[in-house]
Amino acid sequence: MATSGRTARPRVAVAKFASCDGCQLTILDLEEELLEIVTRFDIVEFPEATSRRSPGPYDIVFVEGSISAREHLDAIKELRKQARTLVTIGACATAGGIQAMRNWADHDAFRASVYEHPEWIESLATSTPISDHVKVDAELRGCPIDPGQLKELLTAVLVGRRPQIRDEAVCRECKRKGLVCMVVATGEACMGPVTTSGCDALCPTYGRGCFGCFGPRANANAKSWSTSLMKSGRPPDEVWRLFAGFTGYAEPFRSTITELGKVKS
Amino acid sequence: MITSPAPGQTAAARQWFLARTDLASLVDGIRATGRRLIGPTVREGAIVYDDIHSAADLPAGWRDEQSAGRYRLERRTDDRVFGYTVGPTSWKRFTFPANLPIATAHRTATFGFDQPVPEVTPMAFLGVRACELAALNVQDRVFLGGQFTDEDFRARRAAAFIVSVQCTTSSSTCFCTSMGTGPEVHGGYDILLTEIDEGFVVQAGSPEGAAIVAKLPTRKPTHAEAGAAVDNVEAVRTRIGEPMPIPGIDARLKLQLDNPRWGQIAERCVECGNCTMVCPTCFCTSVIEKSDMDGKVATTERQWDSCFDVAFAKIAGGDFRARPRDRYRQWLTHKFSTWMDQFGSMGCVGCGRCVAWCPVGIDVREELMIIAPPIAPVVRPVAVEPVAASPGNFSVARLASVRSETEDTTTLTLTDLDPAFLQGRPGQFVMVALPAFPAVPISISRFRSNGIDLTIRAVGPTSTALVNLHPGVKVGIRGPLGTFWPIEDAYGRHAVVVAGGVGLSPLHGLVDALVANRDRFESISLFYGTRTPEDQLFRDDLAAWSVSKAIDVAVTVDRAGPEWKGRVGVVTTLFDKMSWDCSKVTAFVVGPERMMQASVQGLLSKGVPSDRILISMERHMECGIGLCGHCQMAGRFVCKDGPVFRLHELGDMFNREGI
Repeated sequence: MATSGRTARPRVAVAKFASCDGCQLTILDLEEELLEIVTRFDIVEFPEATSRRSPGPYDIVFVEGSISAREHLDAIKELRKQARTLVTIGACATAGGIQAMRNWADHDAFRASVYEHPEWIESLATSTPISDHVKVDAELRGCPIDPGQLKELLTAVLVGRRPQIRDEAVCRECKRKGLVCMVVATGEACMGPVTTSGCDALCPTYGRGCFGCFGPRANANAKSWSTSLMKSGRPPDEVWRLFAGFTGYAEPFRSTITELGKVKS
Repeated sequence: MITSPAPGQTAAARQWFLARTDLASLVDGIRATGRRLIGPTVREGAIVYDDIHSAADLPAGWRDEQSAGRYRLERRTDDRVFGYTVGPTSWKRFTFPANLPIATAHRTATFGFDQPVPEVTPMAFLGVRACELAALNVQDRVFLGGQFTDEDFRARRAAAFIVSVQCTTSSSTCFCTSMGTGPEVHGGYDILLTEIDEGFVVQAGSPEGAAIVAKLPTRKPTHAEAGAAVDNVEAVRTRIGEPMPIPGIDARLKLQLDNPRWGQIAERCVECGNCTMVCPTCFCTSVIEKSDMDGKVATTERQWDSCFDVAFAKIAGGDFRARPRDRYRQWLTHKFSTWMDQFGSMGCVGCGRCVAWCPVGIDVREELMIIAPPIAPVVRPVAVEPVAASPGNFSVARLASVRSETEDTTTLTLTDLDPAFLQGRPGQFVMVALPAFPAVPISISRFRSNGIDLTIRAVGPTSTALVNLHPGVKVGIRGPLGTFWPIEDAYGRHAVVVAGGVGLSPLHGLVDALVANRDRFESISLFYGTRTPEDQLFRDDLAAWSVSKAIDVAVTVDRAGPEWKGRVGVVTTLFDKMSWDCSKVTAFVVGPERMMQASVQGLLSKGVPSDRILISMERHMECGIGLCGHCQMAGRFVCKDGPVFRLHELGDMFNREGI
């Protein structure tokens, strides 16, 4: 049970699509454990850390970033073929990321307003999560991912058990920490009730409402929460923006945004 | 719940007065004993419980304004220190930590599991309210009351010195008075404070408390000060009133497992679990394992968890409480019903935290009163004392006429009877007997000036014998029995009578009474469904009602030959005709039980309130007066507590098979 019986270290690759590399940096941020990690895992591909390249197959592939450009479409399929286990990391890979806001907008107009030569930009009209294209075995949420959850996942792989990653509201972490609920006490907007935990309530700890970067938890009652936010006096477009952040393209945030879009216009 | 008196309760009779400016002497005095002092302090826009280093940390001059889903701190116009109610923290944070290592395990050179010995710093809790003392007692029962105990809790509880404060202020979210937990403190403290304008009336509840009080710069309170302390707490009791009638709610909730309201709450509930986190008694936890990367050394940590968690009741094969409504129901029924079965008290102490800290503002008090409202007492006024009120005793009446209604149903008119029968009310019934035939219950279908009508379907020996009688013979009757239609309930409202088949019989007298009082109702309607046109009762009366302007009559049949020009379909299809605001409907429903179930569902979905739906139940009866036991249903005797019930009295027993 201690290990899966393999004598060789698992071959690990880190790959990226449309993303900011912040999740890859989180891997490097595991400073205490890095030495232990490279002893136990054979990290053969890691663009943020090394320019060394090594072809598959891989035991584990960590995928950062969303599918946002034409060449991504084939690349992710090829990567899947090379991966025994494929783990998506971060809001871009798991939900389409903040760049998925264009999924509700006019792609050409977006391109034209941002780039001087929009014709050079070969992006797709949508930014979509990896799971829309290939089978995903596990995911780590967040923008960026949480180092503790990453360590837990790696440990679970080595020990041979299921990672203990909870699917509960961010509120739960706030309450365990003894933070005062700002929704109730000050009227601050917060996505905590519908967002899955894992960040140790990072933003509320610093007096900010949750941005929802870990994405919707299972069965998130986004409809009631958006209604409640509007009931407390927020106009629909403000609520739209709350949901349409880092993980807006993940259901049920996605339908809530679409619904709010209707209210807005 | 009454807390057990603390040792040294006799000393509690002694009171001292401590000036507000001298409160620091109490804070310093407790800290001087080496205890970690925890008390109220302002942080992040709320009054939370945290470490108190000096009296300056206390929330002097602050008050809290609370309602469902809302909490705001505001300045008081005075400098009272305990002029707030309860905030988001409860003492369970200190008696039952949110994160607690409960074991370490290793398989290095050796293999084993080690449990840490609880090492607890002596603590002092300052500002424990009556509801919070009650919550500590609930925790005592949960963690220490059974065969297996939580030794960490025991150590923390024993390490806590308690300075209690009687409430002299309240929030709209408070309902300790309903739960019987406050606002007065009855024992369970080391020191008790009651804040008045000038300072505090102080009592000691234990030798350790008395020792600390003895060192304070106190004096004897004046008569006025002692009186003010009592009056201030009494005023809080008056202000809170009794927001929720609680007696019997545990039993009533058990009858409401299928109430549609659970689904409606689930549409609002975001399942954040905040209610369970802020609750001072919720005790559910999960454990997580933290290990080194080899899995050789691991720590097991216990964390507060919540029954609202999607995975809380999950096993490999699936989830036992898969729907949000299941999880909400689990929580609320545990707090107010099944907790009683497990621990002998309610799981709720009425602190109101779950109301204030619910981000979508769900108020458990409102929900409980909708789901399991208080039931009207079973003993009701009787229309008239029944005649011959013992099983073997019958009064004699004469059969005046026999009229065939349908192929198998006949109406008998009885005269020459005891005047009590004429004073009966629509909805009541009589027990009818013939020598050598067992008595049967028959509802009174009509009251005449000198007699009553009984409409009887020939299905058994007695009913067959009765319908074959000839005018002039005598029969034995007992009654009038049972509850009756409360027609005054429909005054100023739309009276809707829904009848199926022979169910029109107990409603006929009601329709007569409604029509006779036409001006008292917004409208009167009769919806009558039968299997075929030939099964209609009282066809002459139906025709007469149809042409009158007093009542709208709509009939339908399940099936009919080509000569039938009327409506075909079940009776609920007639509900389309209710074009008015259905919250203003009082409905009277009788028919076969399946038809009543469908009708009730239809009425509820139209928005007719469940306490405005009246139904008449039929059960086997032998005595008619609650002695034979045949007609028991959901804790009621249909004969004497019914046959007319308000729907909500029966809860979901009405829709259940096998009751």
